[in-house]
Amino acid sequence: MREQSLALTEAQPARHVPECHVPGDLAMWFFILAELAVFGVFFLVYGVYRRQQPALFAEGQSHLDLLLPTLNTLLLIAGSACMVAAVKRFAQDRQRAARQSLLLAMVFGSGFLVCKLYELVGKFMAGISLSSNDFWMFYLSLTVFHFLHVVLGMVIVAAVWWMARDGRYGPGRLDGVETAAAYWHMVDLVWLVLFALVYVAR
Amino acid sequence: MSNATVAALPASKATVNDQIKYRSQAVAKPYFVAAIGLFIGQILFGLIIGLQYFKGDFLFPAIPFGTARMVHTNLLIVWLLFGFMGAGYFLIPEECERELYSPKLAIITFWVFLVAGALTIVGYLGLPYNVLAHLTGNDLLPTMGRGYLEQPLITKVGIVLVALSFLFNLSMTLLSGRKTSISIVMMLGLWGLAIFFLFSFVNPNNLVLDKYFWWWVVHLWVEGVWELIMGAMLAFVLVKVTGVDREIIEKWLYLIIAMTLITGIIGTGHHYFWIGTPGYWQLLGSVFSALEPVPFFMMTVFAFNMVKRRRREHPNQAATLWALGTGVMSFLGAGVWGFLGTLSVVNYYTHGTQLTAAHGHMAFYGAYAMVVLTMISYTMPLLRGREANSAAAQKLEKTAFWVMTLAIVGITLSLTAAAVTQVSLQRLSASPLPFMETQQHIMPMYWARFGFGLCFFTGLMMYVTSFFVTGKRES
Amino acid sequence: MSASFTKSTARNIFYGGSVFFFLIFLGLTVDTTMAVPSHNAKAQLTDAAVRGKKIWETRNCAGCHTLIGEGAFFAPELGNVYVRRGPEFIKGWMKAMPTNVPGRRQMPQFNLNDAQLDDLVAFLKYSSQINTNNWPPNIEG
Repeated sequence: MREQSLALTEAQPARHVPECHVPGDLAMWFFILAELAVFGVFFLVYGVYRRQQPALFAEGQSHLDLLLPTLNTLLLIAGSACMVAAVKRFAQDRQRAARQSLLLAMVFGSGFLVCKLYELVGKFMAGISLSSNDFWMFYLSLTVFHFLHVVLGMVIVAAVWWMARDGRYGPGRLDGVETAAAYWHMVDLVWLVLFALVYVAR
Repeated sequence: MSNATVAALPASKATVNDQIKYRSQAVAKPYFVAAIGLFIGQILFGLIIGLQYFKGDFLFPAIPFGTARMVHTNLLIVWLLFGFMGAGYFLIPEECERELYSPKLAIITFWVFLVAGALTIVGYLGLPYNVLAHLTGNDLLPTMGRGYLEQPLITKVGIVLVALSFLFNLSMTLLSGRKTSISIVMMLGLWGLAIFFLFSFVNPNNLVLDKYFWWWVVHLWVEGVWELIMGAMLAFVLVKVTGVDREIIEKWLYLIIAMTLITGIIGTGHHYFWIGTPGYWQLLGSVFSALEPVPFFMMTVFAFNMVKRRRREHPNQAATLWALGTGVMSFLGAGVWGFLGTLSVVNYYTHGTQLTAAHGHMAFYGAYAMVVLTMISYTMPLLRGREANSAAAQKLEKTAFWVMTLAIVGITLSLTAAAVTQVSLQRLSASPLPFMETQQHIMPMYWARFGFGLCFFTGLMMYVTSFFVTGKRES
Repeated sequence: MSASFTKSTARNIFYGGSVFFFLIFLGLTVDTTMAVPSHNAKAQLTDAAVRGKKIWETRNCAGCHTLIGEGAFFAPELGNVYVRRGPEFIKGWMKAMPTNVPGRRQMPQFNLNDAQLDDLVAFLKYSSQINTNNWPPNIEG
C-alpha cells in the first residue's frame, strides 16, 4: 500500500496538488471496520428480535431513563470535538494546547463512564442480568460492550497523550493522533446509533 | 552442481549441507518424516471408519468404529503437532539467526513424543478402553473419553512435558537471538497451544461445564492459537518464496491474526448454543462467528497478493502452490463451510449432523494439514541439501496436491449432501425419521465419501512417492 | 489516495484487540459459570449420575454417539435417549449388544453389571434434564 502511494506521489511532479489522504493508520481502519461490522450485525439482530417481540421491548425500554444517556451523548461528542482539536493543534505544533485537548477528551470520556456505570449498577441492583429476557440481553450486551470500547478508547488516547510528551507528534507527524481520533469517533458513532435504537426509538 | 550429487546421496550421509543456514535446523527433519508417517496412518484409519459407515460390521469386533475414529482423530492431532514442532525447529533458528539452544534436547523430545504416541495408539487398539483408562490412572483424575482428548492421563502429562521441553528450547533460542514478528507470533501460538491444552485436565462432573471448558481446548486451539502458528508458517514461507519485503508481510500477518482473535475468541460462543449454557450465547456466538470468515478471506487475498508481487522466481514452485492452496482451502473449509452452520437459527437444525463432519474435514485439511505440507514442501528439499526438488519430483508433488485437494472437496461435498438429507429427514420433516433409518437414506453419499477417501489416499501415496523421485534438477 | 500502514500499529491492534476480547470472554465465562446452575435447575446431578458419567467416558461412548449434539455422528443422539426410550429399554439394549446383523453397524458389548447400568441410566437421565434451549428440534435427536 505504502509503496503504491509513494510511487504515485513520485510520479506527480507537482507536490502542491491536494492529495487525497486517509487520516491515521490503515491497520486501525481495518479494526474500525471489523468493530463496525460487529456492532452492525448486533443492531440488525436487535431489529429482528424487536419486530418479533414489540411488547417486551417496549416494556423494557419504559424502564430506561433518558436524562443520563442524553448527557452521555453530549459527553462523547464533546470528547470527539476535543480529539479534532488535538489533531489541529498538533498540526500547528501547539504541543501544550494539543495535550490539554487530549486530557479534556479523557475527562469527557471518564464522565461518560461514570454516568454509564451508575446506570448499569442500578440495573444490576434491580436484579437484571443477561438472562433476564431478550430485551435486557440486548441492552446489557450492547451497552456493556460499548462501555468497554470507551474504556479502550481512553486507553488509546492516554497512550497518545503519554507518547506526546517528547514532541513525537507535530506538523506532518500526525498518524498516531489521527489513529486515536478515528477510533474515538467510531466509538462515538456507535453510541449515537445505540442511543437512538435502544433508548430513543420506542 | 554439487547439489545434484548431494541429492543423489542418501540424506543421512549427506556432507555439510549448505542449503540450511544453521546446522541445528536439521532436527526438523525427523519431525517432518514422522508427521508424514502418522498422516498415512490417519488416512488408513479414516478409510476404515469411512467404510464402516455403510458396511457397519467391517472389522467388528476387532476394531469397532469408536476405536478407529479415536485413532483417526488422535493421529491427526499428533501429526499436526509433529509438523508444528518441526516447523518451529526450522523456523525459529532461521528467524533468530542463531543455532537452536539445544539440538540434543530436540532429538530426545522427538523420540519421547514418538514412542509415547505410538504406545498410546497401541493401547487404543490393543486394550478395551476402560481397561486402558484403569491402567493409566484415569481413576485418579478422570480426563478420558471426551472427543479429541481421549488420551490416557499419562499421555496427556507426557504431551505437556514434551511441549514444555520444546517451548523451553525454542524460547531460549528466541531470547538470545533476533526477534522478528514471524518468530514472535509463532512462539505466541505455540505457547497458547500448550496453555490451552491444560484445560484438557479440567473435567467437571457437571456436564455443561465439562462441555464448556472442553471447547477451551478444541475451539481456542483451532480457531485461536493454531491460527497464529498457521499465519506465522505461511508468512515465513511467503517471505522465502516471494522475496517480498518482510515488513509488508509481517504487518499483514499482524492484521490478519488480529482479526482472527477479535472474531474467534467470542466466536467460541457458537458452541454454546444448546449445551446447557444461557441463551445469550446464541446472540453473541452468532454475531462474532458470522465475521469469522473475514480473516480467512484476508489470508487468501494476502497469499495471492504476495505471490503476485513476488520479486524472485523461487525454484520451489510446489511450495508456492501449497501456500496458495492453504489460503484458498482454509477460506473454503474454515470460512465458508464453518459459516454454513454457525448461525444459531441454522445451527438449531444442523448441530450434531454430518455438516460438522463436512466442515471439519475441509477445515482441518485446508488450514492445518496444508500449512504443514507447505512448510514441509519448502523445507524438506533444503534439509536434504538442495534448493528445490527436481522438476519431475515437483510435478508429482503438484499432481498429488491436486488429487488430495480435489478429493477433500469431494469428501466435503458428499458429507454436505449427507447433511442436507439428514437435516431434512430427521430434523425438519413433519414426521421425523429415527437416526438409523435416516442413515439408510444417506448410504449413497457415504459410498461417494469413501470413494473420494480412496482418491485422497492415492494422492497421499503420490505425495510420498515424490520424495523418492530423483531426476535432473531445474536450474 | 495515500494512507500510512505501519507494522507497529498492526501489532498494537493485534495485542490490544486480543487482550480486549479475551477479557470480555473471561467476563462472559464468569457470568455463564454462575448462571449455569439456575439455568439448569431441573438437572439432578446425583452421585449415580456422576458415576454414570465416568462409565460414559471410559467406554468411549462419544466415539460413536453424540451427547447433546457433540461426539461422533455414527450412532444416535443420546442426550435425550432417556426420554425417547426410557430406562428399561436402554438397559435391555446394552445387554443385547452386539446384534451381529450382517452389514449393520455394530455396538460392542461392554459387560456392565446391573449397578453400572443403573448409573449409566442415571447419567442419561441427568443429561436429558439439561436446559438445552429446546434443542433438539424433535425427539429423534
